Amino acid sequence: MKSKGSEVMFLAWNEIKNNKLRFTLVIGVLVLISYLVFFLSGLANGLEQLNREAVDKWEADGIILTEESDLRLQQSILSKDDFDGNGVDEYTELSQLSAIASNEDKKENVFIFAIDPDSFIMPNVTEGNTFVNEGEVIADDTLKEDGFEIGDEISLSSTDETLEIAGFTDKARFNAAPVLFTDRDTLETLQYGETAEGDNNTVNAFVIRADSLDNVEVDEALQVIDTETFIENLPGYTEQNLTLTLMIYFLFIISAVVLAIFLYVLTIQKISIFGVMKAQGISSGYLAGSVVAQTFLLSLAGVMIGLALAVITGLFLPAAVPVAFNYIEMLIYGIILIAVSVIGALISVQTIVRIDPLKAIGG
Amino acid sequence: MAILELKKVQKTFGTGRTKVEAMKETDFEAEKGELIAVIGPSGSGKSTFLTIAGGLQTPTDGEVMINGTALMDLKEKKRAALRLKEVGFVLQASNLVPYLNVGQQMQLLDKVKKGNLQKEEAKELYQSLGIDHLIRNFPKDLSGGEKQRVAIAKALYTNPSIILADEPTASLDSDRAFEVMNMLKEITKEKQTATIVVTHDTRLIDDCDKVYKITDGKMELQESVHDTL
Repeated sequence: MKSKGSEVMFLAWNEIKNNKLRFTLVIGVLVLISYLVFFLSGLANGLEQLNREAVDKWEADGIILTEESDLRLQQSILSKDDFDGNGVDEYTELSQLSAIASNEDKKENVFIFAIDPDSFIMPNVTEGNTFVNEGEVIADDTLKEDGFEIGDEISLSSTDETLEIAGFTDKARFNAAPVLFTDRDTLETLQYGETAEGDNNTVNAFVIRADSLDNVEVDEALQVIDTETFIENLPGYTEQNLTLTLMIYFLFIISAVVLAIFLYVLTIQKISIFGVMKAQGISSGYLAGSVVAQTFLLSLAGVMIGLALAVITGLFLPAAVPVAFNYIEMLIYGIILIAVSVIGALISVQTIVRIDPLKAIGG
Repeated sequence: MAILELKKVQKTFGTGRTKVEAMKETDFEAEKGELIAVIGPSGSGKSTFLTIAGGLQTPTDGEVMINGTALMDLKEKKRAALRLKEVGFVLQASNLVPYLNVGQQMQLLDKVKKGNLQKEEAKELYQSLGIDHLIRNFPKDLSGGEKQRVAIAKALYTNPSIILADEPTASLDSDRAFEVMNMLKEITKEKQTATIVVTHDTRLIDDCDKVYKITDGKMELQESVHDTL
């Protein structure tokens, strides 16, 4: 037995087939809107990764910063002795410095993270070697695309000291800048010069792995925050995400309104034929179902073409454009687009229910 | 038992000084196999009668019965279902869906109602109406006469017990108009439907079993068809 869906699809599909130009225009508008939604979601995702991938790679549960730091890594200055590992499974110190790195040809804003090479935040080496001698670093591989190579001597804006790229790692950008990983001695030399050698105890944070952050015991001048909160407080991160998310949500509304207007106009044009069908006894429910089925078909086509176009565009974009598609998220946005389009069709459904067959047949 | 029965039906619009009596107290009966003409000049109340008989509007007073079911006791949804089951409309303007071809017009009826004509029966109907070669044509490709014949086929496709035809020959030349009336007569006798044709063209009523005349909303059964001529 045929389903009710296929029955209402009959009228919807035949109308589309016989009014190709009209419905191609409707689908075209939906393609453009869904393309923009998918592209923006890819951009939001790419920019998100640009900010957080180095932190995500730690697979840490939380981070310890000073209370005064306002959750900013750069502003948190604490002593190695301020935390003794109470309540955590693992912890390690993290010190950082931001600088402009140059290899004579190119200049790039970078973060330098000083880490313990035996700790869990030590990155994998995808090319070259790890840092062994003082002055050696592992660099994020996006620097390669900017012309940096293994063995390059890097000068920094804030010091006369130089660094050398020993190897590259992947997915290691923090707050939209590539990260150079090195050891604490190298960082201290960069910060205080060769003469300051000795026992400098200051670090910027402790990165921790713990079953529950509530059980982590810290001095009252310190605070334990989960990794997500730390990322959300990166400068510009939340503002940027909210802006793009808001644009996507507006596009959902625009999509619903545009399709609602299109369908309403089409429904108004069909009032007399709908009236005749109602006079013959065809129920409002069937006609309304047909409009909803038609909206579903149109929005499904528009979303699928928009999705394909967005993915194809992504393949040809230069690396400098931070677009990264999250296919699950795109699928969800696609479903939302179809759902809001169907909701937009409800205005037409209301019109159909109100059609008086008597007026439509001129009685 | 009459298939269609109107008992003391009246229809008025407005109240007080603006009150208009579109249909004065009327009794009407249609039996199986009867071809009935309702004639009258423009604005006399013919369409009001037809839409009340088909359950498209409710009378101010009185009762409309289709196959023993009082229409006024039913809610709109059930009235629509009864219309689909029992009544076939042939309207003045084409009642064809513009984006469905002739075959699909009938398929649409299969989607919304069971118990329609079987494939062979439908084929016979198309042949008898001379539209069997038009099955794949869309309404825009049909002439006025062809459209009207398809509309008749559509009205008959659901096996209705009543056919209500509103000026079915209005858009046709004389030859075509007589042809359509003959067709309706044949179908009425063959399918034993009650066919009510509303028309202002008195030339077409020769073969009708009964003729009602409407003047200013007052409907009267004529003693003989020839009384009206």
